Amino acid sequence: MKPFDFIQPATIDAAILALAEYSPNVRILNGGTDCLVELKHVAQSPGVVIDVSRLQGLKGIEIVDAGLRIGAGVTHTEIMADPLIKEHVPAMIDAAHTVGAVQTRNLGTLGGNLVTCVPSMDSGPTLLALDADVTILGAKGTRQSSLTDFFVAPRKTSLEPDELLLEIIIPKENLGKPASFIKFGLRKGQALALVNAASALWVEGNKFKDVRIALGAVAPVVIRASKAEALLEGQSVSEGLIQEAAKIAVGEAKPIDDFRASKEYRNDLIEVGTRRTLQAALGASNIQS
Amino acid sequence: MTDVTLIVNGETKTASVPPETTLLKMLREDLNYTGSKLGCDVGDCGACTVLVDGLAVNACLMLAGQAEGKEILTIEGLSTLEKYHPIQKAFEDVAALQCGFCGPGMIMTTKALIDQDEDVTRQNIKDALSGNLCRCTGYTKIIEGVIDAYQEITGKKLPEIKPRAA
Ligand SMILES: Cc1cc2nc3c(=O)[nH]c(=O)nc-3n(C[C@H](O)[C@H](O)[C@H](O)COP(=O)(O)OP(=O)(O)OC[C@H]3O[C@@H](n4cnc5c(N)ncnc54)[C@H](O)[C@@H]3O)c2cc1C
Ligand code: FES
Ligand code: FES
Repeated sequence: MKPFDFIQPATIDAAILALAEYSPNVRILNGGTDCLVELKHVAQSPGVVIDVSRLQGLKGIEIVDAGLRIGAGVTHTEIMADPLIKEHVPAMIDAAHTVGAVQTRNLGTLGGNLVTCVPSMDSGPTLLALDADVTILGAKGTRQSSLTDFFVAPRKTSLEPDELLLEIIIPKENLGKPASFIKFGLRKGQALALVNAASALWVEGNKFKDVRIALGAVAPVVIRASKAEALLEGQSVSEGLIQEAAKIAVGEAKPIDDFRASKEYRNDLIEVGTRRTLQAALGASNIQS
Repeated sequence: MTDVTLIVNGETKTASVPPETTLLKMLREDLNYTGSKLGCDVGDCGACTVLVDGLAVNACLMLAGQAEGKEILTIEGLSTLEKYHPIQKAFEDVAALQCGFCGPGMIMTTKALIDQDEDVTRQNIKDALSGNLCRCTGYTKIIEGVIDAYQEITGKKLPEIKPRAA
């Protein structure tokens, strides 16, 4: 790694001051499982590295007025073991479990995952399907954003260089919403997603309501399949309709062709992933009622 | 330079290192704990696995400064001159390893799994070891070694896998 200055602020306020002072020549470091890999390969020094991995203010999972708050510095391992996540958003446990191997999940954080903004990130689809919001803190104060607006382009979020991702909020009305996540990789353990997907839905009077379908690794950022969602919305629950929605979802994505998988294969995975997550969310809804 | 103090295998150790030094580099080059291996240096192979406050992490993906004040357990902390640790003994008994390069990482990941004190299945073991690559063995003997160590240390039995009906 190229030499850099290293700061370990004791509080979030101190971190924000340091960000303001050194940006744009500054990197935030949390679990380091993405950042350090990158810093080992870049030719330029990042200038200043600010370690936020000890900040208590980025930790914690709790119910707040707006919903379920998950600190940006919560690790994937912590998500997998948390009783509130298990009770209110269990699909997040399945998603967290697919991130790398145990060594990566012990260090890697939810916030770090979202900020990388790679299309294949495994936390993205479930959170998008649950209409998650993020809270961002900068020298000018805090601001709220939907996760949809947070994802701008590959490896680019709406964060300014002097801003910190503080927390992720699952809105109150979506706690307990039946949801499901699936990931397809070249093998089970420690592989990037070829395609990942999540669905969430309510069933009311045997009709689909507030259907959300999110797809990863199939477009520049994690996307919603809105046409497939619209097909189901308000309609009577039927297996045939789920199959049709899954076909429509394929048309909403633009997967790439590369050495890991062809575009055709990824399109098949989008259909299968959409169908299976819708079926599983429906199954979870049946168990609830 | 930053002064970093770690508690390695129960002993307090301090070194002055450049901030870009990884925990792995500090352990191997500044503190002379060369048991943890440098394989890929990017988090893929697990040869550098150590326990930090009881959790298995890749020491190549943590800065030494991030580990300041934490308890680090390396492979050197397991055996004594008189006696192998039960995981090491189990690995030896089944001849789990061939060249041995992946061994320290495999054994530390196994230690973290068994320390969790939960009931373990064969699938849990495969899942736990999915971040530890071995270029020699094909994993079968390693998994046998983990099962033996788990049963020896916890006194539990792994659930039997029922043979499929013909
Ligand atoms: C071997 C290996 C396997 C992996 N497998 C997967 C996988 O299967 N699925 C997957 O999705 N990812 C995977 N990853 C990627 C990575 O582990 C995850 O994205 C992880 O969640 C990143 O979190 P982190 O805390 O380590 O982030 P860091 O590396 O610390 O940071 C990542 C980026 O986010 C920024 N950042 C971090 N926290 C904040 C914050 N609070 N505010 C603002 N900016 C911030 C950093 O500046 C950096 O740009 C893998 C990585 C490795 C090394
Ligand atoms: S050397 Fe650390 S994971 Fe390979
Ligand atoms: S025994 Fe040689 S790498 Fe595992």
